[in-house]
Amino acid sequence: MANQLLEVKELSVAYGDVRALWDVSLEVEEGSIVALVGANGAGKTTLLKTISGLLHPIHGHILFEGEDLVQLNTKHRVAKGIVMVPEGRRLFQALTVLENLRLGAYLPKARADYDDSLERVFTLFPVLKDRMNGKAGLMSGGEQQMLAIGRAVMARPRLVMIDEASLGLSPILTRTIFELIVALNVQGTTVLLVEQNIHMALKICSKAYVMKTGHIVLSGTGEELLADADVRKAYVGERGSRL
Amino acid sequence: MSSLVQILINGLLLGSMYGIAAIGLSLIFGTMRIIFIAQGTMIVFFAYLTYWSFVKAGIDPYLSLLTVVPFAFVVGLGLFYLLFRKAAALEDRNVSLLLAVGLMYLVDNLILRVWSATPRGLDISYSGAMIVAWGIRVSWLRLALLGLAFGSAVVVFVFLKKTRVGTAVRAASEDMEATTILGINSVWVCAISFAIGIALAGVAGVGMATVYSFDYQFGFTFAIKALVALALGGMGNVFGALAGGLLLGVIENLAAYYIGIAWIEVASYGIFMLVLIFLPQGLFGRRGLVKKV
Amino acid sequence: MNRRKLIWAGFGALAVVFFGTLPFYYDVHRGQWGIFFFNVFVYVIVAQGWNLISGYTGQISLGQNAFFGVGAYTMALLWFNDVTKTGYYFDPVLMILSGVTPFILAVLVGVPLLSRLRGDYFAFGTLGMGMIVTVLFINGGMFTGGAEGRMLVPKMPPGVVFNLRTHYWVAFLVAVLATLVVYFMTSSRVGLALKAIREDEVSAASHGVNVLRYKVLAFAVGASMAGVAGSIYGYYLLQVTPSNVLTQNWLFYPILMVVLGGTGTILGPWLGAFLIYLMSWYGDQYVAGFSPILSGIVIILVMLFLPSGIIGLGQKVPGLGKRGRGSG
Repeated sequence: MANQLLEVKELSVAYGDVRALWDVSLEVEEGSIVALVGANGAGKTTLLKTISGLLHPIHGHILFEGEDLVQLNTKHRVAKGIVMVPEGRRLFQALTVLENLRLGAYLPKARADYDDSLERVFTLFPVLKDRMNGKAGLMSGGEQQMLAIGRAVMARPRLVMIDEASLGLSPILTRTIFELIVALNVQGTTVLLVEQNIHMALKICSKAYVMKTGHIVLSGTGEELLADADVRKAYVGERGSRL
Repeated sequence: MSSLVQILINGLLLGSMYGIAAIGLSLIFGTMRIIFIAQGTMIVFFAYLTYWSFVKAGIDPYLSLLTVVPFAFVVGLGLFYLLFRKAAALEDRNVSLLLAVGLMYLVDNLILRVWSATPRGLDISYSGAMIVAWGIRVSWLRLALLGLAFGSAVVVFVFLKKTRVGTAVRAASEDMEATTILGINSVWVCAISFAIGIALAGVAGVGMATVYSFDYQFGFTFAIKALVALALGGMGNVFGALAGGLLLGVIENLAAYYIGIAWIEVASYGIFMLVLIFLPQGLFGRRGLVKKV
Repeated sequence: MNRRKLIWAGFGALAVVFFGTLPFYYDVHRGQWGIFFFNVFVYVIVAQGWNLISGYTGQISLGQNAFFGVGAYTMALLWFNDVTKTGYYFDPVLMILSGVTPFILAVLVGVPLLSRLRGDYFAFGTLGMGMIVTVLFINGGMFTGGAEGRMLVPKMPPGVVFNLRTHYWVAFLVAVLATLVVYFMTSSRVGLALKAIREDEVSAASHGVNVLRYKVLAFAVGASMAGVAGSIYGYYLLQVTPSNVLTQNWLFYPILMVVLGGTGTILGPWLGAFLIYLMSWYGDQYVAGFSPILSGIVIILVMLFLPSGIIGLGQKVPGLGKRGRGSG
């Protein structure tokens, strides 16, 4: 069994008195795509934010390559190679595409590989090269999503955590984005994918977890869960449409 | 007619200081989302320092720029890490606001203690030098002040657009959390912005010392004026802040000439209220930064 | 929880009895504690007003001194010009009117500002209002007496002797009244709305709270308190000028008092007023001009280490300090 790049063990997070995550555990194998699915408010974004270091858990552990991240702040986690593509992209609208990408490679190690990373991004997402000096805010939804992912790639990530890549995108664009995510993975980047579009997410992942109200309720391979009757009924619906 | 031009020009010159202060306010607001009400007080403080170095050591004020401004930058860093770091991290604006109020009160009264209430001003050998052209008289010093203002705006603009840290500051002004997500140290970004804001206060302080007489109460009023300038010019735009300052200077001068000196203040504050109510984003600013969520 | 309330209530009742009866066994008129407590009570009134809008509702106001001055001038100008023709000293009608004019001003200014502006911009709007009010009074010429203000000593009814006892009692009574107003407002549904607005405005609005109305209400009630305090102070000074009723002191000290004592608490302003005034009273005796510096230091220290104030310590009163994200 290959190394677990990321291990989350019994993680609990609360906002003040309100518990958001209850003893959540999951594993992400290196080089794989892991999907985290569930309805709105299930706690998926909270989990990603905690792994990133934006939130602090009440208890539990997050191990990256065996090392406990608890003492590290976001900057150090990014330096280690854990990069999040946040929900809603959170691009810097007033800045250009190139400036957004530049900021992705802010930290020293990433900065050293700036030219290589930039080329990699432009190869993956050619449209970004065309729009290099345009303001990020003026791009279409699909282009913005590509920029968001590209910005994360500039940080030389080992693990990319993508929160709701398909948000606001048409089915065709969603397919394109997912294909690009697969391409990214093929190049060696591990992906943790949080998605409401369960059908697509389950198709491209090797392992998946289902979350509900702060708990992991189900886990298995993508095919297993796609075939699972409960999952189909609750989340996937007749034709695999979005929730 | 030439007297109107004279008024306009004098207004521009007066407004250049408001402009420098407003740029500093804009930077601090951009990242920390607080209006640093102690800005005027800091300017007066640095004016007093310039005064001291002139009176005690005979250092020409424009030479003092080389010492006062870096010193101001360091003071800014110190103040940030001492006072504002925690509140900035928690984005607690009420606390930051009251910290600034406390700082203002503290420094104003420290100035009173150290330098007494007598108004100070510098009497430099070349302060009388004038340019006279096309029927207009302009003092060299005030013109230099205008130059300082433009120079500051350009320096800050270049910093924001061309440097890596400056780009991070622009990004943080737009979305602090997204900047943190990228691994950028957001506290450091706030600290730098704040320190530059205070450094600009240093520039304005030197400028003030060369041209005006000032006392410990000046800081409070000046901060309000800088705020009016910022409100006029709008947030998020370096040259907009400068323009706001220049515009305010012109308005005040026009008001002084046509309505009378006593009513300058009413004009400035009245415009402030009007802008706040009807045009909160100012003439050149980006929307959404001031209006209620 | 109820036992604590009972203890505080008992303590409060004792304090009321003590201060209420003080003039019977202490010469309030001649003794220095008379003036001391008189000033403390006046500050308490202004402070409670600030507490209402800023402590409970979370909207920092920098305009209390303007309302204080408007109240003082209302009383002074009405008395000076014999408008009510009663010629009373400590006329309750004038005092009530001194509360009404700031209320109106607060509504006029508050509605446009509070409906459009974020927190600190609102604060600066109030500051701007204060500056305009000050300048208008200074330039009021014949109407307001300009920079010299109005001398009220000649208006004293014949045969009435100035005795600080009256002032002491009136100030104390109104301070208690103001405290009760704040208490009943904040422990009612209104108070719930105000606190909700302070904690999360958007959430409050989505629960049907008319955010603007409550903000303006808190602002206006707080303003009228400051106005009444102004009239009381005017009756004490018997002279109303911009430099004694519109100064930064009436802006800054009440804030400091509430912040030190405990924002969003009922007794915080009392404790803060006592401590701060004590500090300035003695501070100035040892080193002239020292107390403002110390006040500045105190507000900074409180904001850094004790944002909920002294009384807020140990209570679950969030006061001004925010807790961090995603707690641990």
